[in-house]
Amino acid sequence: MINLKRIFFIALILLASSQVKAQIRQGYDAPDIALPAANGDTIRLSSLKGKVVLLDFWASWCGPCRSSNKELTKLYPKYKEKGFEIFAVSIDAGRNNWLKAIRQDKINWLQVNDPGDWNAKIVAQWGLYGIPTSYLIDKDGKFIAMDLRGKQLEKALKDLLED
Amino acid sequence: MKKLLLILAMALTAFSSNAQFTTATLQATGLTCAMCSNAINKALQKVPFVESVKPDIKNSSFGIVFKKDAEVDIDALKDAVEDAGFSVGSLKLTGNFNEVKIAADQHVKIGNENFHFLNVKSQVLNGEQTIAVVDKGFVTEKQFKKYSSATKMSCVQTGKAASCCVKDGIPASARVYHVTI
Repeated sequence: MINLKRIFFIALILLASSQVKAQIRQGYDAPDIALPAANGDTIRLSSLKGKVVLLDFWASWCGPCRSSNKELTKLYPKYKEKGFEIFAVSIDAGRNNWLKAIRQDKINWLQVNDPGDWNAKIVAQWGLYGIPTSYLIDKDGKFIAMDLRGKQLEKALKDLLED
Repeated sequence: MKKLLLILAMALTAFSSNAQFTTATLQATGLTCAMCSNAINKALQKVPFVESVKPDIKNSSFGIVFKKDAEVDIDALKDAVEDAGFSVGSLKLTGNFNEVKIAADQHVKIGNENFHFLNVKSQVLNGEQTIAVVDKGFVTEKQFKKYSSATKMSCVQTGKAASCCVKDGIPASARVYHVTI
């Protein structure tokens, strides 16, 4: 019975993931995201066409996301001038926790918030299984890669932005 | 006769509702960040008596709010965490207590469940109180060894009353949760 349940569960996951990945995969257009920044202005992902964008889903309560922020603070200034932008989407339900994390991690890239923790709308829309989850998007707004970090991310940025 | 039954039923309910758990703090452990997984969040939210689940960075744990007046099945929380591929590192239950007398190595019935308090001072619990579950699978192996050494009764190993508390009127097959403050 337990085995049957598990098989059923895995089948469900496969079904769910195949539906999401039909849109979120290499070479496909990234769906637009429009969410408010800290000052209340709505920022659109699609407004960043022409730049190489790292779309980064995170939350203040996610330890690995905070470590990733530290890495990005080193990478961001190196490639910003060359046409790199980070579009970070926090799912923090607590707005103040989000703002505090931005200050603590000294984040100076684009930040928007879809409050609700795991109940945030963006989680269902993008089929997020966990955070951090990130997507690299090219100048035409197409997906290039998922979850690149550290040296792999830097290598991709070098290839895309330095010639 | 009917009236008598009704009174008896009322008396029983009154007696058994001497505490109601309202919230819990659950720390999950595993190979990856537990709070960062939507699977574990979904699993906890699917538990019928759970109202809401919130990640809490301060304690790197989940804050769980129970549905009002719902009966809390503590093992169901552990099962949900384990089904999602993690294990429970700590579970603290908060509730409102009303004249619940506890003492070290003593069994107490709270609500419909049996509790066995370990490493506590004799006291009467009133108002909002928090207890921690220290049964196998609810704490780390190391902590379990520490707490299970606080009693000679066999129920600490199995979580079942067996023969150790028949004199307290607890049936042998009954679940006994081992807890501390």
